[in-house]
Amino acid sequence: MFDRRFLEHFDWWLFLAILLLMAIGFVNLNSGSAATGYPFQWKQLQWYIAGTVLMLSLVVFFDYRLLTVYSVHIYLIMVFMLILVVFIGKTVGGSQRWLSLGFMNIQPSELAKIATVIILSSYFYHDDRPQYGLTDLWRPFLLMLVPIFLIYHQPDLGTALFLVLIFASLVYMARLQWTSFLLLLGTAIATFPVVWEFLKPYQRGRIMDFISPGRDPLGAGYHISQSKIAIGSGQLLGKGYMKGSQAHLNFLPEVHTDFAFSIWAEEWGWVGAVILLGIFFLMLYRGFLIASQSKERFGAFLAFGVTAMLFWQVVINIGMVMGLMPVVGIPLPLVSYGGSSVFTTLIGAGLLLNVGSRRFMFQKGPRPK
Amino acid sequence: MKFKVKTIWRVKRFDKLDQEANKRRCDVAILIMFLFVVTFCARLWHLQIIQGKHFREQSERNRIRSVRLQPPRGKILDRTGRLLAGIKPCFNVCLVREDVGDMEALLAKLSPLLGETEAEIRPRLGSEQKGPQYVPIVIKRGADWETLSRIESRLFSLPGVFIEVTPARKYPYGSIAPHLLGYLGEISREDIEKERYKGARSGDMVGKCGVEERFENDLAGIKGQRRLEVDAGGRLVRVIDEKPPVPGKDLYLSIDLDLQQASEEAMKGYVGALVALDPQTGRILALVSSPAFDPDAFATGINNEEWKALNDPVSRPLQNKALQGRYAPASTFKIVMAAAALQEGIVTKNTSFKCTSQFRLGRSVFRCWNWRGHGQTNLYKALVESCDIYFYQVGLKLGIDKIAKYADAFGLGSKTGIDLPNESKGFIATPDWKLERYQEPWQEGETLITAIGQGFTLVTPLQMACLTAAVANGGTLYSPIYLEKITGPDGHIVKSFESIPKDKLPVSESNLRIIRKALVGAVNDKKATGKQCKMPDVLVAGKTGTAQVVGQAKRRQDDKLDWKYRDHAWFVAYAPAEKPELAVAVLCEHAGHGGSVAAPVARKVFETWFQIQSPLPVLGHGKTAFNRNNIDDHV
Repeated sequence: MFDRRFLEHFDWWLFLAILLLMAIGFVNLNSGSAATGYPFQWKQLQWYIAGTVLMLSLVVFFDYRLLTVYSVHIYLIMVFMLILVVFIGKTVGGSQRWLSLGFMNIQPSELAKIATVIILSSYFYHDDRPQYGLTDLWRPFLLMLVPIFLIYHQPDLGTALFLVLIFASLVYMARLQWTSFLLLLGTAIATFPVVWEFLKPYQRGRIMDFISPGRDPLGAGYHISQSKIAIGSGQLLGKGYMKGSQAHLNFLPEVHTDFAFSIWAEEWGWVGAVILLGIFFLMLYRGFLIASQSKERFGAFLAFGVTAMLFWQVVINIGMVMGLMPVVGIPLPLVSYGGSSVFTTLIGAGLLLNVGSRRFMFQKGPRPK
Repeated sequence: MKFKVKTIWRVKRFDKLDQEANKRRCDVAILIMFLFVVTFCARLWHLQIIQGKHFREQSERNRIRSVRLQPPRGKILDRTGRLLAGIKPCFNVCLVREDVGDMEALLAKLSPLLGETEAEIRPRLGSEQKGPQYVPIVIKRGADWETLSRIESRLFSLPGVFIEVTPARKYPYGSIAPHLLGYLGEISREDIEKERYKGARSGDMVGKCGVEERFENDLAGIKGQRRLEVDAGGRLVRVIDEKPPVPGKDLYLSIDLDLQQASEEAMKGYVGALVALDPQTGRILALVSSPAFDPDAFATGINNEEWKALNDPVSRPLQNKALQGRYAPASTFKIVMAAAALQEGIVTKNTSFKCTSQFRLGRSVFRCWNWRGHGQTNLYKALVESCDIYFYQVGLKLGIDKIAKYADAFGLGSKTGIDLPNESKGFIATPDWKLERYQEPWQEGETLITAIGQGFTLVTPLQMACLTAAVANGGTLYSPIYLEKITGPDGHIVKSFESIPKDKLPVSESNLRIIRKALVGAVNDKKATGKQCKMPDVLVAGKTGTAQVVGQAKRRQDDKLDWKYRDHAWFVAYAPAEKPELAVAVLCEHAGHGGSVAAPVARKVFETWFQIQSPLPVLGHGKTAFNRNNIDDHV
């Protein structure tokens, strides 16, 4: 049942952006690996290949519409994995985030991002209203609360808040009443001091560091200071590939994950950084376009949710390394090292391409011969 | 199953209105995203282009540590090239605060390793003002091997700590002439600002007082620099480049090690000073200020108690008494008086006065030290037996102005011109001065006591040594020098020092000969005051002096008197009388009579000197190198 229109609607630009990001990710990680002394780039290459195969097979052999039914299963699997993390999760660096599968460790909280997008899209598809008030939102909010709590418990405040952002993005897509919006905003501001009390000291520290990064240049603000030095010292054209002193002399922490953008900007300068931003822009633009051109509600929500997910990751990660946002461990899609993140992104990209390619199925008029 | 699948495909399409609403939302999202991307590009522009240079410098500083390379400090040698002050490696435990991280945890670890409490270490860390965080701080200077190995083996767990090797002074012959050589100490905060210490930083060792301070710039050499690339933990990645240090220059002093050691030995137990010069050139061969201090103590740090001892108000170990001590010249001043009297024609060598041990002036009685009196006394006898009455008469006839003029011409009351800071001028009183100072006219009685070297007159041992040398060499007053030459590290001579004739004594050669003959008598005659300096093989000429510290009334037997009321003992001498090679001035504070205390000290110095000059005695026992009955031929 292969349809020629399928190929016509396949978003080549989006596909190209994904490939370019993977290429840049590999090249950049090659330098980051040399800096850290671990060959991350080869493992990442395996994720890229496996993820790309998964992405393309999702596009070709899977119809996203199946998710309107199976989203519930996906949601339950996600919650189950997150609960599993609580009991048998691997602890690294003080938080219990990983599940060991023997050959690889997976990070269910990463996969939870895409699963959240799917379940919420499905919910809003089934619960179709022209506008939503607060009373209409408590059920999806409850759905969200389970993974948010489990992830916050790991603890991984960043990812937990990230799920809230995805929820907010999809609520925006579903149209929230103005009154409800203002009410939510007011509540958020009012409860901030209470939330502040619940934060752990290091989390408060990060927020304080964000507000005044110079308050302790050798303490918690050290990473951001060094990251800014790395980016800034790249100047217009960068220090040259593999020559980023900040990264290669270990002044930059986590060069392969959270601070991947910093080493890129240090070695390739403003020009390289803007090119990378441009590719992200291309990817996100095509993503939103797919959502915009979707002919039905589920596809539009799914595409918008996936794009929003990628968008917030890019904004938070790059904003953080440039000192515009507090330090939260959100990876940069496809550029940061990490199998779970790569898979999440490529599954999302697969769904985007899927929605985009199947647009024609809802077109009016006779099937072309 | 089939049915179910069918319903799945049948998703609801948007109606026209929903489609438009959907597009609007996505357009807004695209706009927001676009704004974010633009903001990020602008932020990147700000970081990388506008602040780029600043951040580039910061990243350079991050990875480049420049380490100063200390040049070896120049050596200080004696005139024969024997090492007085060399260099040895000194191991310091240092700290770069920027690399430490948790200072409290580090202190807890360091404290047992250094064997000191945290409270002791903490003050050395310095305050915020102690320069930038990346400048190393010395927390333990001169650590011993045991401490070093303890720290070295745990260095990996002590971030920011490293061991620095700096050159420190080594004294192969022990502490030699510390007052002349000076010592090394940590640079003071005021000195860092000064132009001559440019490039120095807190914790550097610089010369303090003496030669070390005066020739700091020659001795210090030029610091080198090694630039290192380090990683975030401060660990060395590679050496970028290196500018080697230029070693300091070596100083050859005119000091003779053997003579200096013997002089210090002879002065041991006395508070005072000793200067030995070559009378023909004005070169200082030995310079002692007693008690000495240990220059090493300053390098490793001095505790309160040691500092108190160094500043003891009685013995004043830090003062260079040869240059800075001011004493009444007492009878040694009679040399000046005799020369003045002869030159002014007040007396001839045959003029004699009768000494009855008493001299009346108005209603006051002035006494001679010899209560029996000397009887008929001419100039020769007056100098040999140090008759006070003779010089009272002479003084009265000369008048205070002439006395002051001659004292000045003999180099008293003004600096000798030795190239060291803080030299004292001494003091010569005049009637004008007294009128200004006390609003009182000059008394004739004051002229009398000035004539025997008491009263207001104050001289330094160095001045007396120069004066003695001038008498010995036929009338040339030299500015004393203590340096032979300065050589570069490769041995070539950078600068050599010639003797500096400063003045000519205003005394004719024949008059000087009369005085010299009397000075020989003052050591060698039967009733000579300085006979304890008489030597069998060498003809010594000299003059004793016993300076009263308190008035006659208070003076009783010396051993019953409080130490601080006892007399200062003086002895100035030169030898051999026929061809002077060595002039010596000795002063022992509150030690008693010049003849019994200072003369034996001088004798030991002469003995050593002539032992050095001719280690094997050429003359047999009982034979002398000169004919004592024909002294005139020799002097």
